[in-house]
Amino acid sequence: MRFHVVVRYVALALLANAFFMTISCSISLIYSDAAFMPLLYSALVTLLFGLFPLIFVPPATRITNKEGLLIVVLSWFLSCLAGSLPYILYGGPFTFTNAWFESVSGFTTTGSTILTDIEAIPMGLLFWRASTHWIGGIGIIIFVLSVLPFLGMAEVVLFRSEISSMVKENFHHRARKAIQILAGVYLGLTLLETIALIFCGMDLFDAVTHSFATIATGGFSTKNLSIAHYQSPLIESVVIVFMVLSGIHFALLYAVVTGSVCDFWRSSVVKYYLISMGAAISIIALNIHWHGPFDWLASIRMAAFNLISIGTSTGFATTDTAVWPSLSKLLLIFFALQCACAGSTSGGIKADRIVIMIKSFYRHMQNLKYPNAVIPIRIDGNVVRPDLVLKSILYVCIYIVIVFIATILLVALGVDVVSAFSGAVATMGNVGPGLGTVGSVGNFSAIPDPGKWIFTITMILGRLEIFAFFIFFTPSQWSKNVTY
Amino acid sequence: MGIRIKILSGFLILSLMLLIAGSWSIYELKSIGSSVQRILDENYQSIRAAKVMKEALEREDSAVLLLMLGHWREGRRLLSSADSLFTQKINFAFENISIEGEHEHLEEISSRYAVYKNKWERPIVDTYKEENMDWYFKEMHNSFLHVKQSINELITLNDNTMYLTASKLENRSSRAIMPGIIALISALVFTFLFNYLVNYYYVTPIITITDRVNKFINKRTPFNVAIETDDEIAELADAIDHLCQSVNVEEKQS
Repeated sequence: MRFHVVVRYVALALLANAFFMTISCSISLIYSDAAFMPLLYSALVTLLFGLFPLIFVPPATRITNKEGLLIVVLSWFLSCLAGSLPYILYGGPFTFTNAWFESVSGFTTTGSTILTDIEAIPMGLLFWRASTHWIGGIGIIIFVLSVLPFLGMAEVVLFRSEISSMVKENFHHRARKAIQILAGVYLGLTLLETIALIFCGMDLFDAVTHSFATIATGGFSTKNLSIAHYQSPLIESVVIVFMVLSGIHFALLYAVVTGSVCDFWRSSVVKYYLISMGAAISIIALNIHWHGPFDWLASIRMAAFNLISIGTSTGFATTDTAVWPSLSKLLLIFFALQCACAGSTSGGIKADRIVIMIKSFYRHMQNLKYPNAVIPIRIDGNVVRPDLVLKSILYVCIYIVIVFIATILLVALGVDVVSAFSGAVATMGNVGPGLGTVGSVGNFSAIPDPGKWIFTITMILGRLEIFAFFIFFTPSQWSKNVTY
Repeated sequence: MGIRIKILSGFLILSLMLLIAGSWSIYELKSIGSSVQRILDENYQSIRAAKVMKEALEREDSAVLLLMLGHWREGRRLLSSADSLFTQKINFAFENISIEGEHEHLEEISSRYAVYKNKWERPIVDTYKEENMDWYFKEMHNSFLHVKQSINELITLNDNTMYLTASKLENRSSRAIMPGIIALISALVFTFLFNYLVNYYYVTPIITITDRVNKFINKRTPFNVAIETDDEIAELADAIDHLCQSVNVEEKQS
């Protein structure tokens, strides 16, 4: 293990943070708000920590998988730590725990907040909050790699260490090309949404920050009432379109742009993702129309926005979903567990794994009828390797177990069971709002400090897809004898 | 990049971090100091003026009672001194308006006081008002209470502002401390990192070079030292390598 090489690459991640802190600092200067000094000092400290290793450590073109894993996990941890500096220095509602919670929630694109009055926070700090979403959305390391010149084999290892195991299977491009596609689609979607929101009447600041939060499927808004603040069907429609797009594998979006529209419609995962959400929207719209005072149009509008927001792990809100009927709330919980497609910025179990599980179940039924038959699982004509099927099922099981462990710990801390369970589901899936006190119009400020730490752990676990996190905290994995 | 610049950059970064943190802490502490002074200058002075106005008003009320009892001379003397004190303090308050809404409160006090004053400026002794308690309670006392209520509202406004400013000071004090704490922790982490890198890139290669030179001297083991950096250490290793090769050539020739 070459620690100095790890330090060099982690420093690059810190430099990316310092860059966005500087932009936030400039915004603070323009608006003459109280966040200027906290942002300036944070930017300087992060910049110095980012620059120093680059002066000492020469570039390494080859890194091992173990080093790649350490770089990815450390980059996330240190980015979250550096990201909490502006909040800590600003003070106000930000204690150390609250600052860490807000920063982790930003970088992991969860979008849960401890703030009770978002509009009282200075613009510079709000921009930094949105920036953490945008840096974290694509993945800190992918973000860094996309702006650096080709790093040779080191880039391949870092790319594979950062992306979801599901993405590795269905990203049929070389690492450099894949990074370019991810970054290109990410930037393109952000620009398009910003322009669309400006046309819908949002000011530039709100349009940029909301685009950052939508494309990263984060959910931090600059308004206390989130998207409900604007009371604009046009803005809601634009955000819905971009939330849906951000939940689709970026390579498929790239294929559509480059003319291969068939690839998009042939994808069984995308079909499942769109059909399942369409079905859930219809059920919720019917359910809230029958139980509430809303007309058909309002029911469909609310159901579509809030389901898509949860189902893509974004977390924006236009209504208090905590008061919806039980059936609708259960569907929200299901989509908060599942979320969108691999290869997107979405969190959660991911639609790809659900498709594999459904196909695996179907294969098992076939095997009961024909015990000697060898029936492979195919997705879009490609055979899914048995170890990937096993990994997917194992991932889903461990995911659910972690959600339950977190719920038990939170209930033990005195959090009510609805808030604890929905909060654990929402943070593990990087969704944001849950139900109860942590619902779409609530926040996490009332959760006791140890509870907030549990939520931040589930956020990081969800973002790093569990295994990388556990490997990092398993001492035997760092023994010199273990190589991978 | 040379070793000197690299090591200097480490110390410069450390110094810069501490310097900025120190400057910011000093700035915040100075701001706290000026905020405290502002509270004293603006709110506390206004509260004191309002309290004196209240005291003067109560003296005027006592003076009115003296007039009602027929003590013309004592009553007029007391009224005159209390009125001049009241006027002096309300003028002071008008000149020191620092809070939103303070001007409106002072205007209200001023107009209510004018109504009150209008009632006692007219003769009381030897008129139907003398010993007329009904007139006092219906006319005088109500006017007196109105003015007093307005003064109390002004005091409350200043009290609340003072409390808010003091609460903000708590946040500012934490802002003054935080850069120092962060600079200390950062400096500590930075020192470890600096030490690690200096050790890895300079101390370890020097030890290796010394070891290889000794091995060359004693056993003529080839001097093969790979240096990762492109600086004076690499140049030193190259120079020693050339020297060893020259020694080998000379030995073979002799």
